[in-house]
Amino acid sequence: GIKGTSRIAADAKGFSPDSFSSGLENPIGCYDAAVQELIVIDDLLFALVGIEGRYISIKKVHGKDDAVTFQVDASMDLALQELAKRMFSLCESFLLIDHFVESRSQFKNGLVNHAFAAALRALLLDYQAMVAQLEHQFRLGRLSIQGLWFYCQPMMGSMQALASVIQKASANNYTGSAVLNLLQSQAKAMAGDSAVRSLLEKITQSASNAYLSILERWIYEGAIDDPYGEFFIAENKSLQKDSLTQDYDAKYWRQRYSLKEDIPSFLANIAGIILTTGKYLNVMRECGHNVQVPVSENSKLMTLGSNHHYLECVKAAYEFASGELLSLIKEKYDLIGKLRSIKHYLLLDQGDFLVHFMDIAREELLKKHDEISVEKLQSLLDLALRTTAAAADPCHEDLTCCVERTSILKGLSTLKDVNIRDVSDSNDLEEPISITGLETFSLSYKVLEPNWHVMHGRLQTAKSIDEVIQYHDFFLDKCLRECLLLLPELLKKVEKLKSLCLQYAAATQWLISSSIDIPKLEEESDSSLGSKKSKQGRSRNPYQAQKVITKNSAVTDSILKFEREFNAELQSLRPILSSSAQAEPYLTHLAQWILGVGNDQ
Amino acid sequence: NEVTEEVLVRDVLYACQGIDGKYVKFDSNLDGYALSDSVKVPRGTRIIVRKLCELGWLFRKVKGYISESMDRFPAEDVGTVGQAFCAALQDELSEYYKLLAVLEAQSMNPIPLVSENASSGNYLSLRRLSVWFAEPMVKMRLMAVLVDKCKVLRGGAMAGAIHLHAQHGDPLVHDFMRRLLRRVCSPLFEMVRSWVLEGELEDIFAEFFIVGQPVKAESLWREGYRLHAGMLPSFISQSLAQRILRTGKSINFLRVCCDDRGWADATTESAAAAGTTTRRGGLGYGETDALESLVMEAAKRIDKHLLDVIYKRYKFKEHCLAIKRYLLLGQGDFVQYLMDIVGPELSEPANTISSFKLAGLLESAIRSSNAQYDDPDILDRLRVKMMPHGTGDRGWDVFSLEYDARVPLDTVFTESVMTRYLRIFNFLWKLRRVEHALIGAWKTMKPNCITSHAFTKLQRAVKLQLLSTLRRCQVLWDEMNHFVTNLQYYIMFEVLEVSWSNFSNEMEVAKDLDDLLAAHEKYLHSIVEKSLLGERSQTLYKSLFVLFDLILRFRSNADRLYEGIYELQARTVESSVNSRENKSRRQAKDKSSESGSWVNEGRKALTQRASEFLQNMGQDLDALASEYKSLLEGFLAQLPVQQHIDLKFLLFRLDFTEFYSRQHPTV
Repeated sequence: GIKGTSRIAADAKGFSPDSFSSGLENPIGCYDAAVQELIVIDDLLFALVGIEGRYISIKKVHGKDDAVTFQVDASMDLALQELAKRMFSLCESFLLIDHFVESRSQFKNGLVNHAFAAALRALLLDYQAMVAQLEHQFRLGRLSIQGLWFYCQPMMGSMQALASVIQKASANNYTGSAVLNLLQSQAKAMAGDSAVRSLLEKITQSASNAYLSILERWIYEGAIDDPYGEFFIAENKSLQKDSLTQDYDAKYWRQRYSLKEDIPSFLANIAGIILTTGKYLNVMRECGHNVQVPVSENSKLMTLGSNHHYLECVKAAYEFASGELLSLIKEKYDLIGKLRSIKHYLLLDQGDFLVHFMDIAREELLKKHDEISVEKLQSLLDLALRTTAAAADPCHEDLTCCVERTSILKGLSTLKDVNIRDVSDSNDLEEPISITGLETFSLSYKVLEPNWHVMHGRLQTAKSIDEVIQYHDFFLDKCLRECLLLLPELLKKVEKLKSLCLQYAAATQWLISSSIDIPKLEEESDSSLGSKKSKQGRSRNPYQAQKVITKNSAVTDSILKFEREFNAELQSLRPILSSSAQAEPYLTHLAQWILGVGNDQ
Repeated sequence: NEVTEEVLVRDVLYACQGIDGKYVKFDSNLDGYALSDSVKVPRGTRIIVRKLCELGWLFRKVKGYISESMDRFPAEDVGTVGQAFCAALQDELSEYYKLLAVLEAQSMNPIPLVSENASSGNYLSLRRLSVWFAEPMVKMRLMAVLVDKCKVLRGGAMAGAIHLHAQHGDPLVHDFMRRLLRRVCSPLFEMVRSWVLEGELEDIFAEFFIVGQPVKAESLWREGYRLHAGMLPSFISQSLAQRILRTGKSINFLRVCCDDRGWADATTESAAAAGTTTRRGGLGYGETDALESLVMEAAKRIDKHLLDVIYKRYKFKEHCLAIKRYLLLGQGDFVQYLMDIVGPELSEPANTISSFKLAGLLESAIRSSNAQYDDPDILDRLRVKMMPHGTGDRGWDVFSLEYDARVPLDTVFTESVMTRYLRIFNFLWKLRRVEHALIGAWKTMKPNCITSHAFTKLQRAVKLQLLSTLRRCQVLWDEMNHFVTNLQYYIMFEVLEVSWSNFSNEMEVAKDLDDLLAAHEKYLHSIVEKSLLGERSQTLYKSLFVLFDLILRFRSNADRLYEGIYELQARTVESSVNSRENKSRRQAKDKSSESGSWVNEGRKALTQRASEFLQNMGQDLDALASEYKSLLEGFLAQLPVQQHIDLKFLLFRLDFTEFYSRQHPTV
């Protein structure tokens, strides 16, 4: 035994030290109650730091691995026993916490657990210091068991609360954000007990510091420095930037970094923003632009308090990153210019290029789609680009062509999102050249131009890349809608009209060539071909003069037939247009244009 | 066997310095310090003593490692990083000793007793000791773990292993590890610094992540230095390591190969720009940003300087252009002239050709073309090279040009690179030769060379035969010419010029020598691949050569045909002159019946012979034409299955009018 203690006992109560120290095996009951109290206090001081004493022992709970209970010698004075037992929960909490600290400090458990354990260790150190103080009091003879109980009170609640948190954490083997979530929810659950609550908040704070430093690197540098995989953003290293060329659906952009399931609750609302912030920074770095968010005192992600300072930091970082990226895209990669040239080529606003291409590529495009040589088309396209006004466009070399294996009409019915980088030259030639002047006018001036201007204006003022994407999507959607491409019913009608026009054109051409041996008035009939809607009277004139009356009347008949069909189709468009016009007001303009002309006759 | 707590405390303090006390001794069975069994103390005391003495066990381990390493210090397997580690541990231990000394002093104070009733200042009980020991325990455990992990490691690997243990969320551990790592990594950082700024590899114990090996100057860049992955600590990223490697390598390259001194200014400047001085110990662990910026600045300047030297002093671009002009036959007039004057020589058997003579011819080709205005330094490097020849080889098979890139440009134009250039040259030379042959054929075939009135006297049948043979020859020539012209167009413009233009662009943006090497490699590779010289186009290449041979054969056939025709023409003229003379003679002397009959007979024989000759030639031509046709078809059929999209363009160009594909829908 510790001689000091025994001497106290001896001096105070007249016991001989020898009998005390050699009486290790003696049941405690054989001592005087006052001596028993001293011995119990000494034992309790050991038990409080998780060490077995003479008459207090630690037993494993049967069936559970890490749960233990403290037991006292049954021969102890009953009052003392009761008092001692009241303290055991504190002792058990200590053991539990101590064990947790030891195990969670191991490297594999992750930064958050390390920091959590470190905070707990600091707490335990305070606790041990308190025990040492109590021991001092005890040595000075100023500590009774009642006093001990009293002094332990302040620690009791916190230790128990921590122990219950720890039990949950170790039962589920939490790491990373799960630990943070647990701590936060416990702090909220303990809101009634302000001391425990502030303790838990303090511990949460220290535990989250490690996490926040990962977050800091992500939102300020776009780098993930996460050795134990705790961060809520996962990096898929197998996706390489090189694969971008074959990667049409932006897999790299979407999947290289992704959100994990367990997001700390305090970041859950802004997880998306955090993800994009880092991605923006990352994109810029991959493009060779080293961007660093300017670091200021305020930008340190420290407090998790109620003032939500970290939210502001994240927002500021996001704004900075997206602003930088936007100016990069706008200035270095010339977004507006690119869009403008896309407009030239894909929205067909530059006439001469298209007409020229149509002329030279006609033969190739007339072939069946599996016979078309893409290389030939490409070189014809290059030719068309270089010989027309398009050559002035710096982006014209980016234009490539590909042959879609399905018809455009079919494609459109499924397509809601236009693939903007590829020109899709369809195999069905009818589509482009059969657009009547009327429709082209309507499409490009009524729809494309105003919308383009709206988008252009907005892009000038856009503050972030998301806004740009949003405006662009909006523009595309509106164009698609107003170009009637999203109304399949209407589209079919227009398609039918166009094919009628085409048949008409083919028929007249055939008629001309069949009447080529008729010597006179060829020119006149030629000129009548030029106009899309050939009037009855004009087409009749040149032929009436001819003697081949049978042929002539056949011609007239077939042309009349065309006109009837065309008018019928045009008229049938009216109800569709007017019915849809209620939902889509812009259709009234179109109806007015088309049907107004139709009514002239 | 009674012991007071004071005694036990003092014994524990001893044990914690690795010294056996009176009662607390090292027990090798338990592998730890423990109170001897003979001492009678309560269970709690025994347990707490054991717990406290864990510190002693850890201390023994750490101390043991240090003294073991110290003993081996000069030896190679500790290394400077190991030394630094030991020194850092030693310093930590001094801190620990200081604590123990304070505790020792406190332990002298008696533990107060109730009876004495006097609180005697600071004293130590076992419980108090456990409070004191909490923090040293954490550190000592950490050190023990490190010592365990680092036992077999050294150099960069050791620093990396220690760095891995710094990834800890506990601020105490984190700070401790940082302090330690700053010390441990300082030798490494010093190596980086002197490597990046001075190009010196100060690495006696082979601890650095860059290793050098003695090589010849021309392979210094490629093989002289390399990364040693095992010694690369994880806090230095792969890309940074590459940059570090390249920077020092550039300095060495400048020093050894380029004989340059200007790099020193560049490094001083970069150190100033990076904000660190060039003196020792300017960098440390945890300042990866500073290191990175220093390396970046140095790399930027050194690379720029190196490229400046390569571009300006060694005229890299000019040499590339010269190679393109001479070896890749870009300088048309020179090539034409060379072909003209060495042609006859090259038709001789290879073993009879003197390379001195060829060198002389090359010289005169240079003198008489625009090449003469080129830089003499460049012209000086252009040589004739005779390749090893076998029996039956003609001069054509062994002739090639060679370009002597000297140090330092031989880093780019290595032997294997030059071999590839030679392969391209041989291919282009052959193509040129075929073109040359076709042009030669054209010269003889020009329609105005044959005066048709000479044949008016011939029989109609023979005349028709002659015309049809000539026509066949012309058509075949046209077809071949179409092929060769388009192939040549493809090679010279689609392949060479496009590759060159890409290469020039990449040269403009190249930031360092590696970029430049890569760009050049890409350039050469694209030429080789697109000119059908690559592995995958072997069969195509072979059939192309068969085609070439066929065209050459056609040329000699055409020559023979036209020689025959000229002869015929000459004979006809002669015979008509004869007959006219004869006629006049006959009119004059009237005794020329026999000579007239001879002429008549001669004309008949001539017609006979002409008809025979033309028939033979016509057959030959037909055979050639059909062979050519099948070969070309085979060639065209192989084109679409090639990897390169450009080859599809070649097909599209050769078959622009769809002549071939219409003949054979399968093509």
